[in-house]
Amino acid sequence: MSAARTSGALACFGRGVRLSLSKPYLAVSLWLIQLLLASVLILPVSNTLHDLLDDSPAASRMVANPDLGWWETLLRTHPDLLGNFPEILTGLLTPEGVTASKLSGLRGLGATAVALGMLAIVLHAFALGGILGTLREPHGSLVTFGREGMRRFPAFLAFTLAALAAALFAYRWIWIESSLALRDRMQDLQSERQAIAINFARLIVLAVILSAIKLVADSVRAIWVARPDLPPVSRFFAGIAGALSRPLRLFGVLLWAIVTVLALYAIWIFADPSAGGEARFALVPLILTQQVFVFLRLLLKVGYYAGISEALTRTPSPEYSYVAAPPPAASPSAPATRDDEPPLEDPAGAV
Amino acid sequence: MGPAKARILLLALAGALVTPALPLHAASLTAPIASYEISCRLDTDKKVVEGTELLTWTNTTSRPASTLQFHLYLNAFSNTRSTFRRESLGMARTVAIPDSSWGSIEVLRMTLADGTDLLPALAYLSPDDGNSDDRTVAEVTLPRPVAPGETARVSIDFRSRLPRIYRRTGWKGDFFLVAQWFPKVGVLQESGWNCHQFHANSEFFSDFGDYDVSIDVPSRFRGKVGATGKQVEERQGAGDRVLYRFRQQSVHDFAWTADPDYVVVKDFFREAGLGDVEILLYVQPEHASQAARHFRAVKAALSQMGRVLGPYPYPTLTLVDPPWGASEAGGMEYPTLITCGTHVIAPSKAHNPEGVTIHEFGHQFFYGMLASNEFEEPYLDEGFNTYMTARVLHATYGSNHPVINVFGYRFALGIDQHYPVDTNRRYFGVATSDVHAQPSWKFRDVKTYGSDTYSHTALALSTLENLLGVNVMDRALRLYADRWRFRHPTLPDFIAAVREVSGRDWTWFFDRTFHASGNVDYAVEKASSVPAKPPKGLFERDGKISEGPPPELARARGYDSIALVTRRGETALPVEVLLRFEGGKTYRSSWDGEARWKRFRVSSGPRLLEAIVDPDEKIALDEDRTNNGKRVVSDPRAAARWTARSVFWMQNFLDSLTVAW
Repeated sequence: MSAARTSGALACFGRGVRLSLSKPYLAVSLWLIQLLLASVLILPVSNTLHDLLDDSPAASRMVANPDLGWWETLLRTHPDLLGNFPEILTGLLTPEGVTASKLSGLRGLGATAVALGMLAIVLHAFALGGILGTLREPHGSLVTFGREGMRRFPAFLAFTLAALAAALFAYRWIWIESSLALRDRMQDLQSERQAIAINFARLIVLAVILSAIKLVADSVRAIWVARPDLPPVSRFFAGIAGALSRPLRLFGVLLWAIVTVLALYAIWIFADPSAGGEARFALVPLILTQQVFVFLRLLLKVGYYAGISEALTRTPSPEYSYVAAPPPAASPSAPATRDDEPPLEDPAGAV
Repeated sequence: MGPAKARILLLALAGALVTPALPLHAASLTAPIASYEISCRLDTDKKVVEGTELLTWTNTTSRPASTLQFHLYLNAFSNTRSTFRRESLGMARTVAIPDSSWGSIEVLRMTLADGTDLLPALAYLSPDDGNSDDRTVAEVTLPRPVAPGETARVSIDFRSRLPRIYRRTGWKGDFFLVAQWFPKVGVLQESGWNCHQFHANSEFFSDFGDYDVSIDVPSRFRGKVGATGKQVEERQGAGDRVLYRFRQQSVHDFAWTADPDYVVVKDFFREAGLGDVEILLYVQPEHASQAARHFRAVKAALSQMGRVLGPYPYPTLTLVDPPWGASEAGGMEYPTLITCGTHVIAPSKAHNPEGVTIHEFGHQFFYGMLASNEFEEPYLDEGFNTYMTARVLHATYGSNHPVINVFGYRFALGIDQHYPVDTNRRYFGVATSDVHAQPSWKFRDVKTYGSDTYSHTALALSTLENLLGVNVMDRALRLYADRWRFRHPTLPDFIAAVREVSGRDWTWFFDRTFHASGNVDYAVEKASSVPAKPPKGLFERDGKISEGPPPELARARGYDSIALVTRRGETALPVEVLLRFEGGKTYRSSWDGEARWKRFRVSSGPRLLEAIVDPDEKIALDEDRTNNGKRVVSDPRAAARWTARSVFWMQNFLDSLTVAW
């Protein structure tokens, strides 16, 4: 790492994306995980749709565009297909939010989708270990990804579940409870603009808190990987300290990641490749386009984690600020290294 | 005499002094039955309207009236034991009813013109449910019956306490919508008084009359008072007060509003044959930029509904835009005054405020002039109006677009929502839950009331229009409107109009769709087409029985096609069935739809591609159109593409779940 390299959020994110591009197999591995999870639903969704649409005259007008009447009829006549899954998804966007009690209304594909979501969260813990570990290897591979992911899986799963719990707690107390507490007072406001402003303020607070939770979790993970020389408790607190010592830079990296992903979605929505082409063979280009989009988004995701790792990296490297102690003399009674920790892999750029 | 009574007497005196000074400036459009001269004073601190009214009531029945019955609507909000509160289960339309603000109406004095005090004889009735705690209907016994054709004059002092706004009336801050606010006489029919209690799901029913109302408000409301009818006077009142006077002939209710924040915008409607109308919009400042949308919508309704139902006969129309937090005041109709409703962010592709504005204006016909009994036949105003609203919206704006609320910001989705079927789909979810045509308070709940009264009626009338043809339907509506204008029509009156115009009796249609609780659903269960095969077996040829078909039958041609159409719903309606064949040939057949199924068979014809029941989508009541057709050869394109989309968005969903942690 050069001492002259810039440490701004954009620079960190940029370096992260370059790292991601240099190791595209990381995005590929994430893509495969998500595709495999989603593929659980391919058969049930496909069978249901073919059963409902193939013999219907509505099929020809549904190729490119959704038919609201068809969709609403489907939800009414097949209530066990999704349950209240659409209601939960749209409810998440409302000022009132969605409470956990709504989950009891999930059915069929909707319930399966949420269950897959839970599985995705668990696998995400594995994937993050693999990504952060592999990013620090000069010559990584999918094998490295798997090895590093499995090695950090218990700790990362604990971090992920703790962060998930903290995020749900924040959602409950910042969004749901404030909505209930403000419900009548919002109606007493002079104008709807004031109500919108208050909702916006609530949204900002929620977003900042959720971002802080995420950044603390990501910082702990990054330092957990970067400082194997420290005992676990020290690594954990060093991770929190890392987040607290560079909050703006970390927020900046997150912001740039969000902006680029949103830009990607905006391009997708405006380009609307799903709507094009009615010929049967157009299905293949559609699927390819979709998966390219997913892959690009995952490249940015890996870039974000690499960017966070970069943002936490001290420059110049501390390797020049101290002299490493000589390795302890080999002793038959003392283990050479801890089983769960590798030797310091990339001292340059440690924190 | 307490100070309150003294003040009311002074008000009454002031009203009496002012009232005779202005002559009626126009003849009534109909003979008045119940006319009111009211003087009232708004106390903005106490949220109280104190007033005195002079009721001039004529007995138009053939029997003497020994009693008078009055609606005291605001008592519905007086406590939790009223019929309204019991029925509403704590909810008023869309919001929870607050337990911190109550409403009431007190009758302080009631005398006949000769000074006879009627107050001691006042008793509360509960004709609908026997709830002795409900005080929304009162009756006084007259010392002498009012003979047929005779007119009685009753002077009443009252005090109305307005609730924090809900159920169409009340206040929010300095905004006031003063409705159902004065003692109002019921409707005397040959069968007796028709004076129902205030229910959770019902609206109103009154006789036509002339209204002359003086409103005394603090001067900060100067220029910001709107009301039924035309403003004929504005003058400085005593102290820091200002007094307005409004008059309107041939209406059956009076509501008014005041809010110092109103931005008042005027516009005019003029169309040959439909007259001139001055339109006043009392809009909130944050919605002022939407004034043009309100005007365009209401002008479209004035024009299109006027051409079908006859001209709007009043010179003014007042549109009221309630403020934030007073949505319960929105979407309501009063004679010549309607309340609308919109949001700061109102995407133009979504028809709001247009939809509510057109709907509430439509009530000037269905409720206003065609003053059906909203208690007993709510579909005659809400349902007929929903049907006409959909027609105007479709003709003026095309398809609607659903709105998604993202943290308070409203975005229109790029998905077409067609009138009237898509916009009334809520009916299909409760299609068999309740009898469609019944008194408003007898519905199972607010969901079936709303779905049946509004949506079912609109879909039934659309179905009728499709079966009759739009021209016949329009002529029937016009006949109904002309014949019953300023009267109290019932459903049989509309059925009679349809019969006269179409030359056929359509009672069966209304029996099935209005007086029943069945659903409509036709489906194509099966469609097949196989190459025709020559017949086999023993055939008579030249008087002898021999094996094998005669030569003219031996060579099979074309395809044998079968379509099986079924009636899955309980209600039978006539439908058409379309068979579409290769080469562009089609075969269209009518089916009376009575049996549970009908098989259509075509032998040795072209190959059948698809069979569709109700191909022109005439049966708007059909609750499931997805089963209305069957293709012989499957088309997997849509399913494959939507599977791909589903998997793609599932991938995005899974990724979004892993973003935050």
